[in-house]
Formats: sequence, C-alpha cells, structure tokens
Amino acid sequence: MMGSADEALNAYQLPKPLPIWLNPAYARHIVKGNFMTLSARPKTVEEGEWVAHQVVEHYRNLWNFVRVIYEKEEDGKTLCNSTTCPRMSAGANHSYTWLNSRFEPIELPAFEYITLMQRWISGKIDDTKMFPTEASGVSFSHNPQITTTALLNGPDEWVGKRSGFPQEFFGICQTIFLQMFRVYAHLYWAHYTEPFYHLNLEKQLNSCFSHFVLTATALDLLKPQELEPMQPLIDLWAANGTFPPESKAYEYANLKVGQRLLQLAGMA
Amino acid sequence: MSSPEFAPPPERRTDTYGRNAAYNQKKCFQVAQGFFLDAVRRARERNDRLKDLERRLESPEMLLRREQLWSHSGKLEARYLRFLRTKEQLSNYSVVKTIGKGYFGEVKLVRKIQDGRVYALKRLFKSEMISKEQLPRVRAERDALAESDSEWVTKLYTTFQDNTSLYMLMEFCPGGDLMTILIKFQIFSEDITRFYAAEIINAIEAVHNLGFIHRDIKPDNILLDRGGHIKLADFGLSKSFRKDHDSRYYQELLQRPASTSQMTRPGNRVSVNIDAIQLTVSNRSQINEWRRSRRLMAYSSVGTPDYIAPELFYDQGYSFEIDWWSLGTIIYECLVGWPPFASENPQDTYRKIVNWQHTLFFPDDIQLSHNAVHLIRCMITQPENRLGRNGAIEIKSHPFFAGVDFTTLRRIRAPFEPPLTSDIDTSCFPVEDLPQTEDPTPSPAGADEYEMFLPFIGYTYKRFQTSYT
Repeated sequence: MMGSADEALNAYQLPKPLPIWLNPAYARHIVKGNFMTLSARPKTVEEGEWVAHQVVEHYRNLWNFVRVIYEKEEDGKTLCNSTTCPRMSAGANHSYTWLNSRFEPIELPAFEYITLMQRWISGKIDDTKMFPTEASGVSFSHNPQITTTALLNGPDEWVGKRSGFPQEFFGICQTIFLQMFRVYAHLYWAHYTEPFYHLNLEKQLNSCFSHFVLTATALDLLKPQELEPMQPLIDLWAANGTFPPESKAYEYANLKVGQRLLQLAGMA
Repeated sequence: MSSPEFAPPPERRTDTYGRNAAYNQKKCFQVAQGFFLDAVRRARERNDRLKDLERRLESPEMLLRREQLWSHSGKLEARYLRFLRTKEQLSNYSVVKTIGKGYFGEVKLVRKIQDGRVYALKRLFKSEMISKEQLPRVRAERDALAESDSEWVTKLYTTFQDNTSLYMLMEFCPGGDLMTILIKFQIFSEDITRFYAAEIINAIEAVHNLGFIHRDIKPDNILLDRGGHIKLADFGLSKSFRKDHDSRYYQELLQRPASTSQMTRPGNRVSVNIDAIQLTVSNRSQINEWRRSRRLMAYSSVGTPDYIAPELFYDQGYSFEIDWWSLGTIIYECLVGWPPFASENPQDTYRKIVNWQHTLFFPDDIQLSHNAVHLIRCMITQPENRLGRNGAIEIKSHPFFAGVDFTTLRRIRAPFEPPLTSDIDTSCFPVEDLPQTEDPTPSPAGADEYEMFLPFIGYTYKRFQTSYT
C-alpha cells in the first residue's frame, strides 16, 4: 500500500531531500480547530457578495507576507529580487508567465511578476463596478423554502447578479485566486526558509495559506489541477487533520501521500 | 523531528536580516494573528445571528413575514460585508462642526457622504499619543467600546486611521454633556439629581459588567442623547480588569511642585482665588468661572482631578468602586453647585482628595435632605466601606433612591430634553468656544499602509450594525 503512496510521492518529482515545508514538524499552525466556518457562506448571503468578501480578505492576508520579501531594506535591496528569483517559479517544475500587451506569455523575475499581479488585482478590487460598495445595492440568497423571488437559470443568471456584480465577476475572482495561489506557491518554494522560517513566521504562513486553500476549494475558485505545485502539502494537511474530511480540500488530497509524509517524519 | 528524508532545518537566524525585515516581521506576525482573532469572532457573531434568525423563522406568528425576515437578514449581512471591504477614510465624511476638543484630539460632527447619516468623529493625534504614552489608553477605549452593546454607552461604529491620526466614528449624542447643563442650570433639585444619578448608576453598572473600570467618570463624559437620557463616553482612561494599572503617573503629578507643574490651569484663572470651602451661593458667578476654566482644563493634557478617587493616587491598587466615588462627587456637584474638592489648582484638589476625611464639607446655606448627605458620605469614603463595593444594587437600595424603578429609566421623560431642530443641531454644544477648523483634507493615497504602522496594528474595528434605515 505504501508502495503506491511512494509512487504518487515520486510522481510529484520533488527535490531530495524533501523541502522543509513538507516536514510535518514545520507544517503547523497558529490556529487550532476547524476553520471551515471562516469560509462557509452564511446562508442568507448572496454568493457573489461572499466571494467578493473572501477575495478582499485573502488578498490582504497574502500581501501581509509578500510585504516581507517585497519591501526594500535600508540598502535598497528586496529579499525577493531578480538575482534570488530570476523567474516567477514554484520549484523546478513550475514557472509562471505573464501576458504582455500583445497577449504573449513572457517570463519575468518573480519581483516583477508580483508587481504586475498586485497592480492587476488591486485594479479589480478598487473598481466599484467590479466590486460594488454601495450599501443600497445589496441582495440576499435564494432559499426555495422561504423566498418566492423567481430566479432565472441559464446564461441570464450569474453569481453576484442580484447584488450588482457584473457578469464577468466570478471569472475575474477565479483568476485573482489563481494569481494569489501562484504567489503563495512562490513563497513556499523560494522563500520558506529565506526569510519566513528564519523570521519565525512559518506557522503564520501555514495558517493563512491553508485557510486560503480551504476557501478557494469550497467556493470553486480554484480547480484541483491548479493546486499542483502545492499538492504534497495539501496531502499532508488532509492527513494531519488540518483539512477536515468534509472539506473539498480534503477531497482533492491524496491521503496516502500525506500519511506517507507523516510516516517519513516518524509522526504517523 | 529531523528525518533524513527531509532537508535538515537550519538554525534560525533572525539577525541576518535588516531593520526593515525585523519591522515587517512584527507587522506580519500581528496582522496574521489579528486576522484570525477577528475572523473567528465575526464567524461566531454571525452564527449567533443566524441562530436567532432561525428561531424567529420557526415562530408561528412570523409565518407571513418569513420571506421578509430572510431577505432583511441577508441584506444586513451583505451591508456589513461591504462595510468590511471598503476603506474607511476621512474623505468619506463631510464635517459639520467641531463639537469638542481635548488635549489629544477633537470631536467633530460629521455626515457620511454615502448615506447622509450623522456621527460624532473623534480624532486622536498619533504623535501626541506616542509622546505622552497614551497608547494603552486609546487601546482600552477602543476595546471597551467595541465590546459594549449597551444603551448606556456611546456606540462605536468603526475605527480607522491615517498617517497623523486615529479616528473613532461614534454615535452623536445631540444633547451635549452634563457639564454644559450644570453650567446652564447651576444647581439641580434633588428630583433631577436623582434622575441623573440613577441613570449614571445603570451606566456604570453596564461598564462594570463588561469587566471594565471607567476611571474617568465626570460630567464632561456623561453625554445626553436625543431624548435627554445619558450615555457614558470617553473611555480613554478605562481599564480592563485584565490589564496593569499605572499609578506612577499620578504619583509624579502629586510630587511635582505647583510652580513647575504642567497642571496649572490655562487661561487667566490664576488670578481668581476660589476655594471650595469659601464658596457660597453669593459667588455663583465665580463658580461658573470655575466651570468654564474646567472646560479649558478638559482641553489640557491631564484633565480635571476633581472626580478621582484617592486610592487611584496610590500604588496599593484599586477596583471597580473607584467609579462609585466619582458618582458621589457628581451627586454632590449637582446638589451643591461645585464638586466637593474644587480648588484653585489641581495640586490643591489632589491634596484635598487624599485628606477627604477633613476636607469633605457641606455648605450651610444649601438645604440638602438627610438622605442625600448620607448617600454622598457613603460614596465619598474609603473603598472598604464605600457603597457599591458589593455591586450597584447597594446604591440602588439607598433610601435616596426610594421609589425609583431602575429598569424603566430610559422610558420615562428626561428632565431636560434637548430642543433640536435638525439632525445636525449643535445648540447643546459650546461650539462658539471651539476653533472651527477647515474641512479635513482627504487622506493621501495608500491609506492602507498607515494601518500598518506598528503601534496601531489591530486598532481598526468595524461594528455590525443592526439597523440601516
């Protein structure tokens, strides 16, 4: 049985020895208990409204970590720069490209990529046509047992329509989550020890990222195949109880790999 | 811990990073922790509201209103979510008038541009807060108000900040404060005093039930709402039972010689020699002079010591009963016309307070009932004997309050109802005494970053509002 777990683990083509963030001893959190309640949509709240809220909260959380590698030190250098990270990557097997103005994929240093990502995401979040803020424009969720408001199905209905979000809103949110995921993946693969581990921030990073994965999967903002560069950590978090069995993140995990990682660390 | 399968954990070295990284480390640590604390609290509150909704949906008399209940709840939650994701900044508000001023900041009547609602916006200057080591107090005020949901306490809707200031958006109490009414009416009858005293008892009790000691109960901090009922404000000095106290602050003030003290009252008060013991009804105008000087005093860094209990000046510790002493001094002031230890300068007031056994004095020319004098003497006394040390019920049971129904106070008509002509009527505030400054300049772009200024992380707060009309 562990043979198949090892096969799956090998299929990830992880570096040997395994990165420190996959060591169960360092995959711990600052929060205990089931934090699915933090991302579960309140029953009466319209879906688009909830997605918008989650986008903004997770973006604030992500930037809290990005700031550490992105802001200049007194000597003018940033911890993430074109020397340390000439490409926007998540390990040897994943590198991400940005589309230039002619929609051609281009490779960029991670720092430049993050700059573009930040500009693009805040451009969306601060656009009140995309993320309306008027208190008067709010709506509520449909409940077939209570609400009689007729709801359309099909192309004329979309997430957030009743609350004034535009048709492309949900797709934009999926892209925002995909971009945020890439940055998290870069933080783990390129900056976990330098600087987060050394600054004693790895538990904070783990908690924010696991909450991010729980939210993204629960609200269909990330698809299973998009999780790939972080899959072994997701497997581990399913096995060590971080992701509760009823969560989508757990469903997307390979439990056997997670258990194998626990075993390798002598913690199974 | 270490296994050959995993990369060996290097020794942690924080020292190899620069100053900025160390600073960002603290920010990151606090923001992440604050996020989860806030998120868990909000989820818990949301869950409570949902349970409440479900209970009401079940009730038979709500059968025809179920859809309305559901949609109303969904909209309230959604408005709160929008409130959470929008940036609060000064430019969201237009200033109507400055209605109050203190050493650390000011209070303005403002209108929210988006929905036209009127609020009191308190602004505290960061530089003053830091140089005068006021941060724990600001924090205490924010915590006390954020945790309170009492009708006896001014509501705090949100807190935000920019590079220079912290802002607290609060409920506007259009009736002004008790100090202003005392200046206007000079003296209260026992009936009117009983009404305000009874309301203040309920208010102090509400604060104590939250686990806070107010520490600064005085007429300037007792506000009057639209109906003339009181609400406690200014928790800048309020102390949670959990936190350390700082009596050194007062000790230093006591030891400082009068001439070099920053406690000397501003203005030309020095020339008027007023001593409570010599005050009589005939020099009422001097009393009012004293009161006006006290308003100036409120603008100074220290404030008036007139209402502070003696044990606050010592290192021996103190507890909830210090607020009852303050109430005793306010009842005295309502009935007599000046607080019991009023003096020419704060040093003399301090000395009188610590010698209260010899300095508490009731003037002969003012007729007070036996019950009133007895009540005051039971409150202005050592903490071991002070009425209220075993709870507010002790005071409520005093014969002075015979016949008062403490549970229905807010529903009876208040003796003084502010005559208001609009939602921005400031006729109850001494606005003519206050410099009316320009409209606030909008915060520069990137206001988010100021929130990240280390001592102020976690200050920002947003309350769920149950009514949006």
